[in-house]
Amino acid sequence: MKEAVKEIVCQEEDLQPGEMMSATFGRHDVVVCRASDGHYYAFLDRCIHQGAELSKGKICGAPEPTDELGEYNFQREGDILRCPWHGREFDIKNNGCMLANEKLKLRNFKVVVEDGQVALTK
Amino acid sequence: MGNTKENANLGLIDTDIHERVMYEELLPYLDQPWRRYITDAHWIQEKHMPYTQPAVAGVDRADARVPDGRPAGTDLGFMQEQLLDSLGHEIGVLTGALDPSPSSMHGWYEMATALASAYNDWQIDKWLDKDERLYGSVHIAAQDPAAAVKEIERVGSHPKMVQILLPIDDILWGDAYYHPIFEAAEKHDLMVGMHHNEPPLHYGKWPKYFIEWHTLIPVSHMNQVTNLVFNGVFEKFPKLKVMMIEGGFTYVPFLMRKMDQQYKDLRHEVPWVNQMPSKTIREHFCFTTQPLEEMTKKEFMQILEQMGSEEIVSFSTDYPHWDYDSPTEALPPKLDEELMRKLLSENARNFYPKLQKKEG
Repeated sequence: MKEAVKEIVCQEEDLQPGEMMSATFGRHDVVVCRASDGHYYAFLDRCIHQGAELSKGKICGAPEPTDELGEYNFQREGDILRCPWHGREFDIKNNGCMLANEKLKLRNFKVVVEDGQVALTK
Repeated sequence: MGNTKENANLGLIDTDIHERVMYEELLPYLDQPWRRYITDAHWIQEKHMPYTQPAVAGVDRADARVPDGRPAGTDLGFMQEQLLDSLGHEIGVLTGALDPSPSSMHGWYEMATALASAYNDWQIDKWLDKDERLYGSVHIAAQDPAAAVKEIERVGSHPKMVQILLPIDDILWGDAYYHPIFEAAEKHDLMVGMHHNEPPLHYGKWPKYFIEWHTLIPVSHMNQVTNLVFNGVFEKFPKLKVMMIEGGFTYVPFLMRKMDQQYKDLRHEVPWVNQMPSKTIREHFCFTTQPLEEMTKKEFMQILEQMGSEEIVSFSTDYPHWDYDSPTEALPPKLDEELMRKLLSENARNFYPKLQKKEG
């Protein structure tokens, strides 16, 4: 049976909630994100649109969908990753799904946190 | 990122790169009293847009800000590193950042004329003379055609100036009043590049949302194409060609069909127009690709087929702006190599006479 690959990408304290950093995992460039609740998530550091490095974008929030024209309810600060080029919004906590079209999502990696270390596995 | 080797093989010519000047850099190129209007009176380019760009870093790619903190597009070295070297550009055509945009000023044409001259000298000194891949646009104050012609006479023969820049705002440039500019363009083997600045295309006003304005930018380009053709610009200036920059090209099949149909009915109103508008468009216009809609190869080819030409579309990145298109990612996959060569290189080279001369 093939042994699971596991690589440490950063220490827990390297990221505060709402921050991200680039790292490598095997042959992949990845972006490691720490969401507002302190949990860690990792995605391929490449926008599915035109390949921009997502780690050069911004972690922020987003106005939530509403039925009221003119209502801006900005929520989820620290949970939304926006591409540095076209600004497309991806939900860190929902498998990297694009807010405008949930059928499209970033490639994500499983994250394990042990003994203060953040590791990716596959 | 990107495939440098592939682009180098195709000889990438990028038809829309926005270099940006910091006002203080213009000062050495301005005489008094113009210089003091910046240093003492704090002149800034008038702007009207009511919203800031809703991208991550305003109008720019978030990763294009110069590492020392200066705005995107202000540093040649960083542009070389991030764009020209990494993507294997053979040629890049500079189109300015519309700040200053002398032809967009609603008044004080003397200041506009001085700014245009200063900008041209700065552009030559700091960009065109510094990188052999970069070609430039002649900035003018087109509201004063006599002064504009004077500036074209002054710098238009520079071997790396390939076009005259006319912003798309609230002036339709086909009117006979502006024809001396086109006459000067022909004289110096210059084409015209039109790029939108702040066209108030929503019935002369601004829509509520940026997304509305940005969606309909191609309408402002359609206004200009229609105006130039029906004002007989190309019958009068047969060597003149116009690059429509940053409006994309997917509107062109519609416009060709609509203009041809109208011409059949209404030719009597414009008897100086002597051929079908679609033919004039194919002969005298080229359209830059960005911002590309996401399309399949089939959809892309259908649009080209309806345009009746593969020769009037030219790739552009719009670097360093937020809606940048990557030359290796934005086009549909698996386009034929011959077509890729046309889109990425040949069409632009054939469009600009001075680039043809370079090849020879």
